[in-house]
Amino acid sequence: MLRFLGLRLARALLTLALVVTFAFVVLRLSGDPALLIMSADAPPEAIAAFRRAWGLDDPLWEQYVRYFAAIFRGDLGQSMRDGRPAIELVAERIPATLALTLPALLIKIGLGIPAGVYAALHRNSFADRAVMLLAVAGFTVPSFVLGLVLVLVFAVTLGWLPSGGQESWRHAILPVITLGIGGAAVLARFTRSAMLEVLGQPYMRTALAKGVPWHVAVRRHALPNAAIPTVTIVGFMVGSLLAGAVVVESVFSWPGVGRLLVVAVANRDLAVVQCILLLVAATMVTANLIVDLLYGALDPRLRVAPKGASA
Amino acid sequence: MPVLSRRTALASAGAVLALPRFAIAQADQRPSVTVAVQKIANTNTLETLREQSNVGARHGGSYGEALIEQDWLGDLTLQPGLATEWRRVDDRTLEFTLRPGVRFHDGREMTAEDVAFSFGPQRMWGADPAAARNLFGNVPGRTGGKEPPPEAAAIARRTYPGFERIEVVDARTVRFVNRIPDPALEGRLSRTTGMVLSQAGFEAANSWLDWARKPVGTGPYKVAEFRPDQSLTLVAHDEHWRGRPPLRQIRFIEVPEVSGRINALLSGEADFACDIPPDQTDALDRSARHEVVGGPIMNHRLTVFDKSHPSLRDAGIRRAFTHAVDRKAIVDALWGGRAPVPPGLQFAYYGPMLVEGWEAPRFDPAEARRLLREANYRGEPIPYRLLNNYYTAQVPTAQILLEGWRAVGLNVVIEMKENFPQVLSNAGAGTPAGRGVRDWSNSASFNDPVASLTAQHGPEGQQWQIGEWRNEEFGRLSAVLEGSMDREERRRAFRRMLEIAEREDPAYTVLHQTLNFTAKRRDLPWKAGQSFFMDFSARNWGA
Repeated sequence: MLRFLGLRLARALLTLALVVTFAFVVLRLSGDPALLIMSADAPPEAIAAFRRAWGLDDPLWEQYVRYFAAIFRGDLGQSMRDGRPAIELVAERIPATLALTLPALLIKIGLGIPAGVYAALHRNSFADRAVMLLAVAGFTVPSFVLGLVLVLVFAVTLGWLPSGGQESWRHAILPVITLGIGGAAVLARFTRSAMLEVLGQPYMRTALAKGVPWHVAVRRHALPNAAIPTVTIVGFMVGSLLAGAVVVESVFSWPGVGRLLVVAVANRDLAVVQCILLLVAATMVTANLIVDLLYGALDPRLRVAPKGASA
Repeated sequence: MPVLSRRTALASAGAVLALPRFAIAQADQRPSVTVAVQKIANTNTLETLREQSNVGARHGGSYGEALIEQDWLGDLTLQPGLATEWRRVDDRTLEFTLRPGVRFHDGREMTAEDVAFSFGPQRMWGADPAAARNLFGNVPGRTGGKEPPPEAAAIARRTYPGFERIEVVDARTVRFVNRIPDPALEGRLSRTTGMVLSQAGFEAANSWLDWARKPVGTGPYKVAEFRPDQSLTLVAHDEHWRGRPPLRQIRFIEVPEVSGRINALLSGEADFACDIPPDQTDALDRSARHEVVGGPIMNHRLTVFDKSHPSLRDAGIRRAFTHAVDRKAIVDALWGGRAPVPPGLQFAYYGPMLVEGWEAPRFDPAEARRLLREANYRGEPIPYRLLNNYYTAQVPTAQILLEGWRAVGLNVVIEMKENFPQVLSNAGAGTPAGRGVRDWSNSASFNDPVASLTAQHGPEGQQWQIGEWRNEEFGRLSAVLEGSMDREERRRAFRRMLEIAEREDPAYTVLHQTLNFTAKRRDLPWKAGQSFFMDFSARNWGA
């Protein structure tokens, strides 16, 4: 178990290091930060001063080492637009984003998994078709369209809910539903597929042939085995808790990490962009690590599977 | 017999002292309004020497006031503001009598020293004015401490090009002294950059940035909370010299999408929605509860040329651009025919300085083609750096322009950009990949041509400073327009400058006067002015 944990942890750290490197290189390849951030009104001496101040004159590898060392010290840089530490700016916005993404995650899980299981257990029934129709509609309609339709109906026409902003819990309802519906639809489809595959397995037939009641076979054999692909999708959803609401936050004028990212990219506030990317990657990697551990818990074969063996 | 202890007595006294203010708060039945805007401030500060934008102009006059005011709601004349009167001591000197009893938001009374501070090195010029010359850029790190960022000083120089010093004569009298004669000094001092701010407020702030996000002014509303990129909350300054403001609170909220702003208005989340494109006005006007107000403001939309671009060095090619613009098509298709096509870069409110009979270049594709043939233009690509609707209807305007230019043989290539620094970036300047044409708008914040033509295109203007356009004769005439006290000489200079910048050696071409539409609740007694400023003072609420 320790070896399993150690390997997964090492892989997670390597992934994080690669993401940090990727973010660093791509952001510098996307243009000279001095020219992007400084106004074109700035004379050459001001641009040169900017480059000196931010160490952009140094060789790229030196900048990279410095950036990496700073990350280890917990220094994620300073916002070029705000003059404050980037992590401080991002941290301020995290609660707002989580206020949307966490309830949305609950909706996704609470609605998507039961709907998928129900559809699989009633395959080809009217209910199955209805659930799948809604699921297809749910994940094919872009979130900004769904958001605007919800605003039109519930805010503008009925006047029941606010159309945007972050004044109270009521302001979160429409964005949470917008985020939740799409995710629930994805989960419903994956859960249904996984369940159908498991329900057709020989061990299910064996269990039923031995007289195990249907609901017990489903609970004890089908659900745990169908959980692995579902856990993978939930893992992705947990991983995108921080950056999964960029579009929805813009539609609903919700001041979270997503809107900060949009503004920071538009203004080429590199430290803030890098900080957000790093945090998003860390969340994703952590979520994947947890998923890996859950795989092990759900299926003991994965803990001990020899290299090259199929699980 | 009840015993009055010392503690009880103190508590009772405190309660009595607190009572009037509490009672006022309880009795405050004034409405609060929410205004949905596209952007609150481009620089995330409220210091008008830094925030020189249309979006910042919307609220600047609510928290800060200048010595002289513009009558944006009426005839656009200059009116007494924080000064009750002013007089010319000589061609270089204006003397102001300060309004008595003006209180800052921190409760202190405005003094002559505060005026001196507002035009002094701490706020305007920085410790080393020479170092700030021509610096407009956002230099990170320079906003630490109390030193103003370099662009603040550069903007100050551009706004008050002849500034020499400010003199405190006595407690109620100050003098603004110029190095050179300036016929438009009164107008310059009516700009929001000249707002009088509390020196004590500046000194109490931890840093320039902290202060610039909560400046202590004298306006009818004070800054209660500014959340960059999110909201700005202003609350009534009940000690305002004009009396209690009509609103308890004004909240500007940032809603970047037009649909979001309109939805916020229709759903009752907002009472005003700004920057409404013309194609939405009819639908909103049909609403029983809402209306769209506004009209032309003192701002022009332009297409600007970079004459250092290899294909634009020949003035004939730039002239061809100006003749291939169908201004009427733009105005009719996108503005319902409501946007006036101005007589060049000038406004009727220039009065005696208006050049009568001057017009924007006529739409003449044949002439454009002839000019291109004469210039031996062979279809080399010319970049057009474009923002996504920073200006209302900017992209559809660009599409009409592009078709007109293409029809005469100009190969204009749109390059979408995310922000102004990218549009203005001098990367590749002077090469085929550098700046070619771009959009701009020019405001005239007071009734003299120096407010627009010289300020934007003269030697201290942006176009000249970034190396986009310069013309030596135009530069010399700018000095005449800015410094001569002889009206006829100034009129001649202005006419010649228009000939140079709009005909002979085009720096820009005017498209139309800007219209600014604001959607609002019908029942709110507020009127739109002739500028971007949203005046919520008593004179514009139910008046």
